[in-house]
Amino acid sequence: MVTLSTEVLVIGGGATGAGVAWDAALRGYDVVLVDRRDLAEGTSGRFHGLLHSGGRYAVKDPRAAEECIGENRILRRVAADCIEDTGGMFVTTPWDDAAYADRFAKGCADTGVDCEEIEPSEALAAEPRLDPKISRAFRVPDANIDVWKTVWAMGHGVQQRGGRLLPYHAVTAVHREGDEVTGARVRDTRTGDELDIHARVTVNATGAWAGQIADMAGIEGVRVLPGRGIMIAMNHRLVNTVINRCQMPTDGDIIVPIRTVSVIGTTDQHTDDPDDHTVSQTEVDAMLDDGEKLVPGFRRARALRVWTGVRPLFEDAKASDTDTRDVTRAHALLDHSQRDGVGRFFTITGGKLTTCRLMAEETVNAVVAHLGDTRPCTTATEPLPGSESGENYRLGERLGRKEANLLDDQIICECELVSRHRLEEAMTRTASTNLDDIRRQLRLGMGPCQGGFCIYRAAGILHGHDGLGAEQAGQSLLDFVQERWKGMWPVLYGDQLRQVRLDDWIFQGILDVEHLGV
Amino acid sequence: MRRSELHFDAVVIGAGTAGLVAGTRLAQGGAQVCVLAKGVGSTHLAPATIDVLGYAPDRVPAPRPALEQLIAARPDHPYALLGTDVVGEALSWFAEIVPRGPLPGYVYGGSLEHNQLLPTAVGALRPSALVPETMANGEASRLERVCIVGTPALRDFHPSLCAANLERAGIEARAVSVDVKLDRADMNTLGLARRFDDEKWRRQFCSELSLTLRAEEAVGLPAMLGLRDPHEVLADVEHRLGRRVFEIPTLPPSVPGMRLYEILRSALRAAGGRLVLGAEVVSCDREGDRVTAVSTHAAGRDLTYLAPWFVLASGGFASGAIELDSHWVTHERVLGLPLRGVPAEGEPRFTGSYFDEQPMARVGVAVDSDLRSEGAENVLVAGAALPGAIPWREGSGEGIALASGYRAAQVAGAQVTPTAATV
Repeated sequence: MVTLSTEVLVIGGGATGAGVAWDAALRGYDVVLVDRRDLAEGTSGRFHGLLHSGGRYAVKDPRAAEECIGENRILRRVAADCIEDTGGMFVTTPWDDAAYADRFAKGCADTGVDCEEIEPSEALAAEPRLDPKISRAFRVPDANIDVWKTVWAMGHGVQQRGGRLLPYHAVTAVHREGDEVTGARVRDTRTGDELDIHARVTVNATGAWAGQIADMAGIEGVRVLPGRGIMIAMNHRLVNTVINRCQMPTDGDIIVPIRTVSVIGTTDQHTDDPDDHTVSQTEVDAMLDDGEKLVPGFRRARALRVWTGVRPLFEDAKASDTDTRDVTRAHALLDHSQRDGVGRFFTITGGKLTTCRLMAEETVNAVVAHLGDTRPCTTATEPLPGSESGENYRLGERLGRKEANLLDDQIICECELVSRHRLEEAMTRTASTNLDDIRRQLRLGMGPCQGGFCIYRAAGILHGHDGLGAEQAGQSLLDFVQERWKGMWPVLYGDQLRQVRLDDWIFQGILDVEHLGV
Repeated sequence: MRRSELHFDAVVIGAGTAGLVAGTRLAQGGAQVCVLAKGVGSTHLAPATIDVLGYAPDRVPAPRPALEQLIAARPDHPYALLGTDVVGEALSWFAEIVPRGPLPGYVYGGSLEHNQLLPTAVGALRPSALVPETMANGEASRLERVCIVGTPALRDFHPSLCAANLERAGIEARAVSVDVKLDRADMNTLGLARRFDDEKWRRQFCSELSLTLRAEEAVGLPAMLGLRDPHEVLADVEHRLGRRVFEIPTLPPSVPGMRLYEILRSALRAAGGRLVLGAEVVSCDREGDRVTAVSTHAAGRDLTYLAPWFVLASGGFASGAIELDSHWVTHERVLGLPLRGVPAEGEPRFTGSYFDEQPMARVGVAVDSDLRSEGAENVLVAGAALPGAIPWREGSGEGIALASGYRAAQVAGAQVTPTAATV
């Protein structure tokens, strides 16, 4: 069996794990990051894209609000290219408790969340599709963040510093020698090859799956309750500012404009299985009704797709007899040498995307201390690869590039303006034959036609580019068609069903992809 | 406001294959006909082959016997209402009108006796009953060695993927890419078809391509061999390359589909029928079980069309004529007619696996055995608005459109007393 040695092994390639790997790599450690799937394919890639201002937690959880606004300011600098500065608003609709607005304003003031009350007329002038019956409105520095871009920027940063990324490597065993964790065995899920990784320190950053990895290390009581939430992407930017209902956080009270779509979220259903992605009709209906309360006519817009994410909600069965850590706190760092007497092993779980950098900092601080080193954290000042200029992403960026080079490059995915050049570059970079991996890098096929036109083009380019066999290219095509369908069918109505019928004609009627090679 | 009223013997709604065929047949029978449409139909998207029955669910070698079996097995299928004879008659009629159309010499060939297997852009072999002459040489049994030709300038066709899949299907195939210089990067087959109409451009293309060709191999190109005179373009390209050449349909817009539309439109005009595009039907008048008039709002004014007969050929979900709304209620949006095939409340509408049969797939306007709507006795339904079929999956779209348009005209025409031309 092939073996690999490293200083820090990070299990889990979501925002937290990638953040830990990036932080550790910046401090000069040799790092290996493994994930059972692609980077940011779990919870991180399954949220609404909101970079919190902290406003949402200003009343309910002041500490989380403080963390959010602090991290919001940092990420705007170090992950500038991944963030679009849309700004955010909290608005009091007729369905909200009018008294909450004053508590909200006070909560923001107490926690340092920048918040400015504006006239409802000003809010409506900025966002004309909002319900005209709103009675109060506050501006906050919410924004959107492209999680795949962020996580891959961290991943590239790790690679540039000599670290290794191993996506599609599932942990099959966590190695224990006496009272210490010494690494893990992983299996390449594409080839079946196994690999032993020896590490000075192992970090379990697997979010809702953290209990499963802790179990493998023989550690009990790491209980993560997966909280399942659905999100629906609506065609177009129904709003251009993040819109929150000014009330105690609940279901369906936020719309995040991101890239070419608007995402409404979310729900919170307890589930026992973090891989449970079922979407119920009731949840969809409730979400559409909630959309109507913020943006009248919401139901007449096209729902492109729905997805579910699982929040890791940590509940420490041992909390009472180990420390007095505040259990309401959003994230949890477990030093298993202190908690369980098992050295060289840490679990970081819970939290939210906005605080991923902070979670990574705290985790690596603990790792550094454990190793007896003194290496300060620099992630708050070191920009991620691609964000060196400090300029935020602008919505018109891709169109601007295209217009500057009308004759030079083909657009392969018209909805998301993905050019052939960028597609080929991503195919080379990822060396992946999975079009869904490419999608997360470029947003290929994420617009209104959900791949109707670009899937054939991308499969053709993939075949020519990689010298793939026709069978593999055909399989990539079929897999991607199915992957797109997965998110569409539970919210299929109106013009999106019309679109799907056109896509049916393209895939089945024109191309006949079901009957390849016969 | 005074309504402008126009009187016809029959009004057809929809200008796809079904609507244009129904309108033409009615006009040929002497009726005063008007075809109203929001826009062009699916012709501009589809490959323009006449697919009668391709899969049932296995690949169908000969449509006629397979149709008989389908009719026996699925009495709710449009073909069960139409019968094999009507399908045959409609196909023969169609094959006859094509050469009389605006594209000199352009013909369709084939029959119900066997399906022709034509390569798709991804290299699958798709069964069709009638095919335009520009595609005929691609028939799989005639292909021994083939060179699939594309150009990097065309993002909608990938010759190497097509050739590699043909190889998997047992055809000796390779791919060649010709680097043509164009004035923009995002050219589609329509733009290239206009180049192919130009003899000088064609000559240049052929001289570059011929350098790369080997002896004894046929040439497959994306479907772009001209819009104006495809017969001549095909003959010229074959002559210059010294071999058999054929077109392969690819992503929309469809050049052969536009030719098909021109053929059908000119047949309607030649028969004296009227076609009004940009005329979306926005309301209708009813008296009891009959629709008496439909109204359009076009070019800034309202027009009302009165007729004893209406043919609804407005398409299904793809055209937007049938809609599932966000409260999960299904409507026929043009005349508000009752539907058939809608899953009961609480039943699944779709399933999680894309290639499974979707419960919503067979929804259409409820009709009797004469294609008469169950909601209006003088409305006949044709084409994709009919329930019971999954045309994109069965390979039956054009066959149903052609035969049901033809049949609707028979039913209405039998009862129309042609009015003397009222000027």
